[in-house]
Amino acid sequence: MNNKQPRIVVRIEIATLSNRDGKLNRRKMDRLAMILSNLRNSGKHILVVTSGAIALGTEKMKLNQQPKSLIEMQTVAAIGQADLIRLYQKCFDEYNQIVAQVLLTSDIMDNESRMESARNTFNTLLDMNIIPIINENDPVSTTDIELEDNYQLALKVAKIARAHAILIKMDANGKFLLVLKDTEEAILAKDEYKLFEIFDKVFETSVDISSQANGFPASIEAIKY
Amino acid sequence: MKMINCRENFKNTKRLVVKVGTSSLSYTNGRLNFSRIEKLAYVLSAIRKRGIQVTLVSSGAIGVGAGRLGMLEKPVGLAQKQALAAVGQAELIKIYQKFFDDYNQVVAQVLLTKDVVTLPSRHFNAKSTLERLLSMEIIPIINENDTISTYEIEFGDNDTLSAIVAKLIDADLLVMLSDIDGLYSADPRIESGATIIPTVTKITPEVEKLANGAGTVFSTGGMKTKLAAAKICGEANIDMVITNGSMPETIFDILKGKEIGTHFVPGKVKITNNN
Repeated sequence: MNNKQPRIVVRIEIATLSNRDGKLNRRKMDRLAMILSNLRNSGKHILVVTSGAIALGTEKMKLNQQPKSLIEMQTVAAIGQADLIRLYQKCFDEYNQIVAQVLLTSDIMDNESRMESARNTFNTLLDMNIIPIINENDPVSTTDIELEDNYQLALKVAKIARAHAILIKMDANGKFLLVLKDTEEAILAKDEYKLFEIFDKVFETSVDISSQANGFPASIEAIKY
Repeated sequence: MKMINCRENFKNTKRLVVKVGTSSLSYTNGRLNFSRIEKLAYVLSAIRKRGIQVTLVSSGAIGVGAGRLGMLEKPVGLAQKQALAAVGQAELIKIYQKFFDDYNQVVAQVLLTKDVVTLPSRHFNAKSTLERLLSMEIIPIINENDTISTYEIEFGDNDTLSAIVAKLIDADLLVMLSDIDGLYSADPRIESGATIIPTVTKITPEVEKLANGAGTVFSTGGMKTKLAAAKICGEANIDMVITNGSMPETIFDILKGKEIGTHFVPGKVKITNNN
């Protein structure tokens, strides 16, 4: 049963997949899709939390720099989100992995029934072997628009989906940083092989889906290295 | 009584909302009708290039999701529908983007939940975003944010959503592309003499009665939800036309004021000056 499989929230800052000029590096993106598809194949459930709608919207509209005002950011995000999900779809397609788009509003945690609804959607998607690609629903958000640090959204998703680990960083050199539930210390994986090794070791025994996932550091700064 | 040609105003449309239902986007087997979508993209891009601001409200995410996953049966249960919508919306916006790209038209995706109506701050934000997109000559493609909606479908259906959107951005005209030609004088499947009613000035109990029987198995709403949408538009002083979506080109003719489908005349009838 899929429910016994560990759930990993993967936080992606699209900037880490970009070149110096700010343009997206498609090769890095493809590599990421490969690693995540492979993680899924190895029996872990993946939930991707991604930023990048504003960056891609800015690129599409050929603006010199990312807009600063809320309304401009929302507008550009509405344009860019369509591109962002298309990009993910395209990259994951290569590895025969179906993805889905889930957009959450920032107040999701204040609304019990919406949270439950999102949880049901996640559960169903994961049961169907689909990777949800999650972002903030910027065009209607009133605050919190695609903060540079999307760790907060990752945290919300981890809580809703009752995840067991958050992959907080993947750097350009292929290193990974992850934090396990109920710990505060980040674990460094030098490369993807090491990452798989760590996950296999940690999740050796089957995991309990019903356990609450409250145990993640409240902010990126609170994580010990 | 002297008849006013209320459709004269359509020539002056500045802001248009087009709603397209699942039945207009797909074949009866649930698979997407690409040439239909392509035609729709062409028509809306052409209208946009004439200086008319266009917003598209599109259903179809659940059906597309089911197709993507090779599911043959209609999904049952809310969670499954939401999951299919999450897969399908991503696919649907990709397909729209692809076709609109061919006409050099930028589109944007906006997913709304019910609180866009009930929550003032969200109402304001959604309106501002849409206004900005329209001013940038972009076509927003709107759907309900199914994946976090808490009820079966919060807006009831996309007919209602399209009327809410039309009201939100203060549109001049809402064109609903459906699988029926308009409101009929009787059920056309039973009575061969049934004709389309070209103009409805008031939603009387008789009109409601006509709407009750209509609709097909494929459209979730049928005529009843379209009347509900007509009421929202009527109160907001927005014209609404229901027409068959099999040929999106008819929107060109509707904008010329031709008598196509059923026109629901809003509460306060706008009369043009012949200047």
